[in-house]
Amino acid sequence: MSDELVKAIADMQEEEALALTKKLLDGGAEPIAILNACRAAMEIVGQRFEKNEYFIPELILAGEMLKTISAEVKPRLKQSVDGKKGAKVLLGTVQGDIHDIGKDIVSFMLDVNGFEVKDLGVDVPVAKFVEEIKTYQPAVVALSGFLTLAYTSMKETVEAIAAAGLRQQVKIMIGGGTMDQQICAYAGADAFGKDAMAAVALAKEWTGAK
Amino acid sequence: MATVTSAAALDAGKTAQQLLGERAKRLQDALQLKQPDRVPIQLGFGYMLAEMGGITRQELHENAAKEQELLEKAALEFQPDSAMSVYNNPASSLAIGGDRMTRFPGHGLPPNGSFQFVEGEYMKPEDYDDFIADTGDWAVRKYWPRVFPELGGLALLPPLGMAAFGHYNLYNLGVIQAPPVVKSLQFLAKAAEAQAVADARAVSSVQRMAALGFAPPTFMGALVEAPFDFMSDTLRGMRGIMLDIHRRPEKLLAAMDKVLKFELEHAIGWCNATGIKVTFIPLHRGSDGFMSLPQFEKFYWPTLKAMQLALVDAGIMPFVFYEGVWDQRLKYLAELPKGKTSGLFQFSDIYKVKEVLGDVMCIAGGMRNSLLQAGTAEEVRAETIKLCREVGKGGGFIMTTGIGEMEGCKPELVKVWVDTTKEYGVY
Repeated sequence: MSDELVKAIADMQEEEALALTKKLLDGGAEPIAILNACRAAMEIVGQRFEKNEYFIPELILAGEMLKTISAEVKPRLKQSVDGKKGAKVLLGTVQGDIHDIGKDIVSFMLDVNGFEVKDLGVDVPVAKFVEEIKTYQPAVVALSGFLTLAYTSMKETVEAIAAAGLRQQVKIMIGGGTMDQQICAYAGADAFGKDAMAAVALAKEWTGAK
Repeated sequence: MATVTSAAALDAGKTAQQLLGERAKRLQDALQLKQPDRVPIQLGFGYMLAEMGGITRQELHENAAKEQELLEKAALEFQPDSAMSVYNNPASSLAIGGDRMTRFPGHGLPPNGSFQFVEGEYMKPEDYDDFIADTGDWAVRKYWPRVFPELGGLALLPPLGMAAFGHYNLYNLGVIQAPPVVKSLQFLAKAAEAQAVADARAVSSVQRMAALGFAPPTFMGALVEAPFDFMSDTLRGMRGIMLDIHRRPEKLLAAMDKVLKFELEHAIGWCNATGIKVTFIPLHRGSDGFMSLPQFEKFYWPTLKAMQLALVDAGIMPFVFYEGVWDQRLKYLAELPKGKTSGLFQFSDIYKVKEVLGDVMCIAGGMRNSLLQAGTAEEVRAETIKLCREVGKGGGFIMTTGIGEMEGCKPELVKVWVDTTKEYGVY
């Protein structure tokens, strides 16, 4: 693993990071070592985000660098690299709402904290959550929403999960700009989180992850 | 605060004209950072009107007569100082043949969906140079065809700068007869017509509400955005603009300087032409959480501050929607001239806002939508009393929900909120 590459990515030196990747690969470095460097760098990015040193511009740029480097590395990979992943989290923005910024940050932070995240996207129908719980078998369901209309969608989603007999097998968290304890109780969720770090803390608490 | 008075007794026996005068003064006093006779309350009913009237949100948007009827009924029932229906109107968007950046109920959404913006990268990184060199030309010939499908024909026009070529440019006019251009211009004319009708209705709505004793809402005025949001919302999109901060900061700053100039020219011109000396500035990406404070200081605040100072110099009051949370940024707002601007705060700690900005600007907001939807009457009453006593202290406060929308709010809780404001908001 290249410390130089980790530092370049973590410090938002995009051109340097891409040049280093090429240089390392051309010099015969193991593709897997490059991916490990990316993972280490993403952890640092996540920590800096938690400490309020990094914000959305850095998360998005980090995601871009990761995408470009992965595209560079993947054709050279001999075996697939399914890293060890922790508990499963099912995530989505509820029906009627197409806001994705907060959801994407939560997804990023859960991922760098070792959770396996399945992101259903935005405007996710109630039935889709139910169906995915059956097949994907997550430990945690995270409902995102920004509009006040999402209050009702969240309530309906939780009710449908309960009606399908699945309520006991998942913990449900809600989050997003306008959510608070009042809406958590109204929707029948287990907890609400005010930001991505709260989502990670809740997921860890519920799944016993360290 | 003075002694507690029964809400109903306060306005009993007054004519609509008396009420209008008192209510308009109450709002104006608060806006000027003075202490009115009591805390004014403004209800931005929004989609709550559809719920109360048993109609779809699509009908609320598209049936102006019904919308007005429901607004009047709700205002008469709750008796606020000022009342509004939904802010966004789809008329011109529908007439122009749709746009790629908004979705209205019944158009890309179910009839009871909620109006939403669809962000995209409608301006590409490689467009910056053209945008900076000649914004108008780029917007008409490149951007409009991209975001309004029916305006595609405008891409055929010669560079708009050719208009400066005097009589020689007349030789270029033939292209205006080309069928795609004709079609685009027809759509443009239809949209203009629809908007003129909507504008006339908005004016008549304010007049009808005034005749019933309700003051004009503070949301009225020219509409502009912070230059950073201008570049983000309808041009680069969230992802694009955040990358620009790192990848092309100089171009972003240069573009925002251009935007500031023409937004100000527009707002000042609009206010002078209409006589309504208010400019509404809804903010998006300046909220805590999107960018760091150093980034805020470099990319967001300078042009937003310059915009507000220039408006104030022109005798115009900026009514700024500080959407999201501004708790870490209140100290910047304190730099604004005292009593000359006003702010609606969505999720900021409203008590802290009062502490930092109480002698700087009129503060609107306070009531959480979630409380009016999922709280109890006791909770609503207790919160309202606290807001009146602490945020209302000394004046300069307009009681509203944190956003200009009350969908899902329970009528019985809204009544408790309004009545408690009248009881405990008396100075």
